[in-house]
Amino acid sequence: MAPLRVSRLSKRYRTRNGGTRDGGTLEAVCDVSFDVSAGECFGLLGPNGAGKSTTIHCITGFYPPTSGEVFLGGIDVQREPKAARRILGVCAQDETLDSDFRAFDQLVRYATFFHVPVEEGKRRARALLERFGLAEKSAEQVEALSGGMKRRLQVARALISEPGVLVLDEPTTGLDPEVRRVLWQILMEERGKGAAILLCTHYMEEAERLCDRVGIMAKGRILDVDSPRSLIERHMGTTEVEEEIRPGAIWRRPPNLEDVYLKLTGTRLHNAGEAP
Amino acid sequence: MKTILDSLWGVRCVWLRYFDVFRKSIRYYLVTSFTEPVLYLLSFGLGVGALVGTMNVNGVPVSYRSFVFAGIIGQTVLFQGFYEASFGGFVRMYYQKIFSAMAVTPITLSEVLWGELLWDASKAAVAAEAVTLIGVAMGDFAPLALLTVPPVAFLSSLLFAAFGLAVAARAQSIEEISYPQYLVIFPMFLFCGVFYPIESLPGWLQWVAWALPLTSVVSIVRTLTLDFPFQPWAVPILAGWLLVLVAYSRKAMSGRLVK
Repeated sequence: MAPLRVSRLSKRYRTRNGGTRDGGTLEAVCDVSFDVSAGECFGLLGPNGAGKSTTIHCITGFYPPTSGEVFLGGIDVQREPKAARRILGVCAQDETLDSDFRAFDQLVRYATFFHVPVEEGKRRARALLERFGLAEKSAEQVEALSGGMKRRLQVARALISEPGVLVLDEPTTGLDPEVRRVLWQILMEERGKGAAILLCTHYMEEAERLCDRVGIMAKGRILDVDSPRSLIERHMGTTEVEEEIRPGAIWRRPPNLEDVYLKLTGTRLHNAGEAP
Repeated sequence: MKTILDSLWGVRCVWLRYFDVFRKSIRYYLVTSFTEPVLYLLSFGLGVGALVGTMNVNGVPVSYRSFVFAGIIGQTVLFQGFYEASFGGFVRMYYQKIFSAMAVTPITLSEVLWGELLWDASKAAVAAEAVTLIGVAMGDFAPLALLTVPPVAFLSSLLFAAFGLAVAARAQSIEEISYPQYLVIFPMFLFCGVFYPIESLPGWLQWVAWALPLTSVVSIVRTLTLDFPFQPWAVPILAGWLLVLVAYSRKAMSGRLVK
C-alpha cells in the first residue's frame, strides 16, 4: 500500500450561520480518493474553500471523516491515530509555531512528541536549522523571526521526525523567490529520500515544478488527477493561449497548469482566436 | 493496558512542554503567581486581622489572620486555576494554535486537553502550597497541613481550570472571558467564605454560596488547616462540579477545534 492512501473520503459539517450549500450542512469534501507513493510529490490545487485544508485535517486525523478512510503507512488514521501519525510530518497553513520557545528548543521539544530521544532531537534540530539557513537564529524566540523565517522553521519542524509522509499546506506562501527555491530544493531532497509528499499550493509554477501528479479540486471534489504535463495536453492541447496582460496588450504563450486550473474550476482564459 | 500507557505518555509530553516553558520563565512566574496571594495575606491577614482579633466560627475560636490564611488558599486555587486555563488556554488555542499543532503528532487532542488541565491544576496547587507554607511558617497552621492540603488544592484547581478551559472554548474573543470573570469568579471570591464565615450572610445567600464550588473548597481547607468541623456535603458538591466541568470543558474545547 502507498504510504498515503485516501479512500472515498467525505466530510460534512454543520455551519454556525447556516449559510450553506445544503441547508445547514456544508459538504466540504466529497468522495475524494488518491494515493501518494513513496518518493512521489502529489499536488492538491483548488480555489479557497475547495476542501483542500479539510482534506488535510482528515488526513492528519484531526477531523473525523463523515465517510471514507485515510491510511498512513497502511495504518487507519482514525482507528490508530497515534501509530499512524508517527510517520507523518505536517506543516499547517496557519502559523502554529510554539512562541513560548526559542527556535532550537522548539524543534527538540516537538521531536519528543514523536518518541525521538532528546539527544537525537538536538542533533536533528541542529542539522535542520543549518539546512534551512536558520542556524544563526537557533537561540531566537519565534516572535523575533521574520515571516519567511517562521515559515521555514515550521517546515523544518515538520521534518524533525524524519517522516515518511509529509503534508504541506501552502508552505511557501509569503516567501521571497530565493527562499522559495531553497525550500523547493529541500522538498525535492526529501522526495529523493523516499518521502511521500502531499503539497497544497496556490502557486501553479510550484505545482508544475515539484509535483509528479496534481489533483485539481473544487467544491469538495477532485475534478481531475494526472501529471501536470498530461493535464495541460488533455485540457488545453497545444494551442497557444492569448492573454490580455493589460488593456490593449495581448500576450500569446504556451498553455500551462494555471490555464487547466482556471478551466476546470470555472474561470477560464480564452484560446487564441476565440472570442472573449 | 498499552493504550492507557500510550495515553499517559501523551499527557506527560504535554505536561512537560508546559513545565519546560515554566522552568525557562521561572522568575516571571514566581512574581505573577505568588505576589497576589501574598499581598492578600498581608493586607487582610495582618491589616484586617489586627482589627478583628479572634473570632468564634462554628464553635471554634480562631484568629482572623488564620481564618483568612485558609480562605486565601481557596482564593489562590480559584484565581490561578481559572486564569491560567481561560486567558492562557485561549491564547494557546486561538493565537498560538498549539493545541492543533500538538494534536497532529502522535499525541491526540484528548491527551493535549488532559495535559493542559493537569498542568493548570499543578501550577495552581503549587501556588496554594506556597500559601500553606507561609501559614505554617507563621504558626497559623499545623505542619501536617503541608501534606493534607495539596490533594484538595490540586483537585480544586482542576475544577476551576476546567471552568476556565470551558470559558476559553466558548469565548469568541479574549475580551469575552471578562464576563465570567466578573459575573462568576469575583462573586465566588467575595461570597464563598474567603474573608468571612458565610453564616454572616442572609439565609438565601448562604444557599447560593453553598451551590458554588469555592465554598466547599474553603470549607474543606479550613477543616484540614484549622480543625473546623467537617461539613460532609462539601465533598459531593465539589466532586459533582469537578466531574461536570472537566467533562464539559473537554467536550467544549474539542467541539471548538474539531469540525
